[in-house]
Amino acid sequence: MSTLPHERARPRSLRRLDADQRWLAALVGILIAELLFFNFSISGFWSGSGSSGWLGTETFTYTSIIALGVMFVIFTGDIDLSVGALAGFSGIVMGELHLGGMNIWLAVVIALLVSAAVGVLQGLIITFFKLESLLVTLAGQFILGASSVAYEGAVPPSSFPHHFVRLLGTGTVVGVPNQLIIFAVLALLSVLIVHRTRFGRQLVLVGHNRDAAAYTGVRVSLTRVRAFTLSGLFAGIAGVIIAATFNSVTDYIGTPLLLPAITAVVLGGVNIFGGGGRVPGVIIATFILGLLTIGLLDDGVGNNATSMATGVLLLVALTVKGVMDRRLGLPSLGDRLRGRFPPAPPAGSPEVT
Amino acid sequence: MSGIASPVEHQVIPAQPRRRDSRRSAALRLARRREPLLVVMTLAVFFLTTALEPSFDTSGNINFMLESAMPLAVLAVGQTMVCLVRGIDVSVAPILGIAAVSTGFLAQDDGSSYVLMLPLALAIGAGLGLVNGLFVTYARIPPIITTLGTLSVYGGIELSLVGSSAVQTLPNSYATLNTGTILPDISYLLVIGVVVMILAALFLWRTTIGRALYAVGNNVEAAFRAGIRVNAVLVSAYALTGLIAGLAGLVYLVYYRGAEGGSGITENLNLLSIAAVLIGGTTLTGGKGGVVGPFLASIFITVADEAVLVAGVNPDWQPAGVGVLLLLAIMLDRNQSGRRSLREVLLARHPKLPLTPPSEATP
Repeated sequence: MSTLPHERARPRSLRRLDADQRWLAALVGILIAELLFFNFSISGFWSGSGSSGWLGTETFTYTSIIALGVMFVIFTGDIDLSVGALAGFSGIVMGELHLGGMNIWLAVVIALLVSAAVGVLQGLIITFFKLESLLVTLAGQFILGASSVAYEGAVPPSSFPHHFVRLLGTGTVVGVPNQLIIFAVLALLSVLIVHRTRFGRQLVLVGHNRDAAAYTGVRVSLTRVRAFTLSGLFAGIAGVIIAATFNSVTDYIGTPLLLPAITAVVLGGVNIFGGGGRVPGVIIATFILGLLTIGLLDDGVGNNATSMATGVLLLVALTVKGVMDRRLGLPSLGDRLRGRFPPAPPAGSPEVT
Repeated sequence: MSGIASPVEHQVIPAQPRRRDSRRSAALRLARRREPLLVVMTLAVFFLTTALEPSFDTSGNINFMLESAMPLAVLAVGQTMVCLVRGIDVSVAPILGIAAVSTGFLAQDDGSSYVLMLPLALAIGAGLGLVNGLFVTYARIPPIITTLGTLSVYGGIELSLVGSSAVQTLPNSYATLNTGTILPDISYLLVIGVVVMILAALFLWRTTIGRALYAVGNNVEAAFRAGIRVNAVLVSAYALTGLIAGLAGLVYLVYYRGAEGGSGITENLNLLSIAAVLIGGTTLTGGKGGVVGPFLASIFITVADEAVLVAGVNPDWQPAGVGVLLLLAIMLDRNQSGRRSLREVLLARHPKLPLTPPSEATP
């Protein structure tokens, strides 16, 4: 695909941008347009008032982190529907351990380990038994959700230590929210992992063509399990950050984050069938989506309509991307599926009688 | 592809399972089907629970359990249609909700009878399902992503239809439908569910488009070569799922004697319907199964759910129980797990070259 070295070496005039690069350029354009729009429609958008505006990134940073995690899984052609519930579960585990008297930071570490372990477990079940990731993670979503409800008991954990809430939740460094810094670090790591390491190349190859990857000597199952591990770990981080942001955590906080996370990945130009896309696109898409949510809420659009807008955006983005890719004539979502619906055989061929 | 294909064939052929089924007697083959197993499991759970708690066995309770399974059973029949063409629909719960809420409000405000509401519920369901089908077929968006998107859109529509109110008082005819019985202990709702199942089964077995669903789900290429209009079949599968989900909405309205903003979603009907389909022996890899298994599986899930409640387990664990049941069902089913049973997986010491993933038909 587009990440192969010889394609990168091509001269980069605007006309010769490949599909991924055009998509990235479009995303940057959308983000700028969106910022300009809110600049005029919302007074004090840049200064940030309370939970809104530019400094209101804490309302979507955790969703962005979940999106980065699930992106690894989508690169391999799988899907992880459990990330939202896992984020909630991670927060509950951390909160309950802390309520039980454990040091908050030790509780955080354990919650992250548990989340990564859940990812490993799901990955192993999927690769070992050759099951559809869709089904296993759907079951996982409900098992984790119910576990959260049962584990939290009657009183959801809340009132965490001040330094924890400051560091992971509301604190800022020179005006930049701490959460944004954490997200930036994770985003940079993701870019490096996907586009600069052997594992990242294998991740994309596995998604592009599993048989080819296997013949090349890539350990396909291991790569997929690793992707699920990263997905679980990132969801766990998001769960801890949710707990710090709201200074409490409930069982139903995580599950609704699944849809925006997948929307961000798809909007970012990652091929939903695996094997293509760029991490920077996803990073930009998380901001487009998050700022859109803030902006709509600020403009007085209800929570419900905002979530509907996310769903519409997901479908429109995928439709437009499919049309664009097909028009550019590159091997892509459309072409790969078109193999399922091949054109009619030429007249007079032997099987037509 | 052909250059690569030959070594794969060379590797896979010795691994093919022995076909012993054909030598077994008809009775044994029937015993290996999913439907009798489900009946036996349901009865086993029922009698075990009765042994623990004798009041479980009262005719009122049996009637209640069968009735309470009906919204799910009808929904599972609908979910089967998309699963037969390798699809999945996680937007059935809000489709059910929209149908229940909109017919419910009309019935509450105007006293409309359910005879009038039936076409409305079906039309709402079919329309919403059609949207899913168009996105899946023509925009080529994977079913799970499409229906996740429409899940949030439809869920939003359902909530905004309801606002802050809810459907609470229905005309008397609905209550009659709920409480009435045809024979002693055989309620109208059960009859409705069984009729829907039989109609759907006849549709799948006896009509051209029903057979086309199996053909497309089994092998798109072969179906196309056989002259089946693949895209039309795919779209109609999603429309049918929506149609039956709309009907399930009416059943839901009658059973619960009301509906509210979260109807369908709060009861986990999405997961439950998918679980019922898979436990009922219909595969997500397409082209196998039918509606009888999912119907019986819905009753099994409901009875098991009640039994677990009677045993004193915290109801919060219900979704986890269904999740585990779903995982077990697909793990133990060789049709689901890439044509390798649990035993074969455990016996395989070295990973073979990957089989073609079931989601991608080799052109």
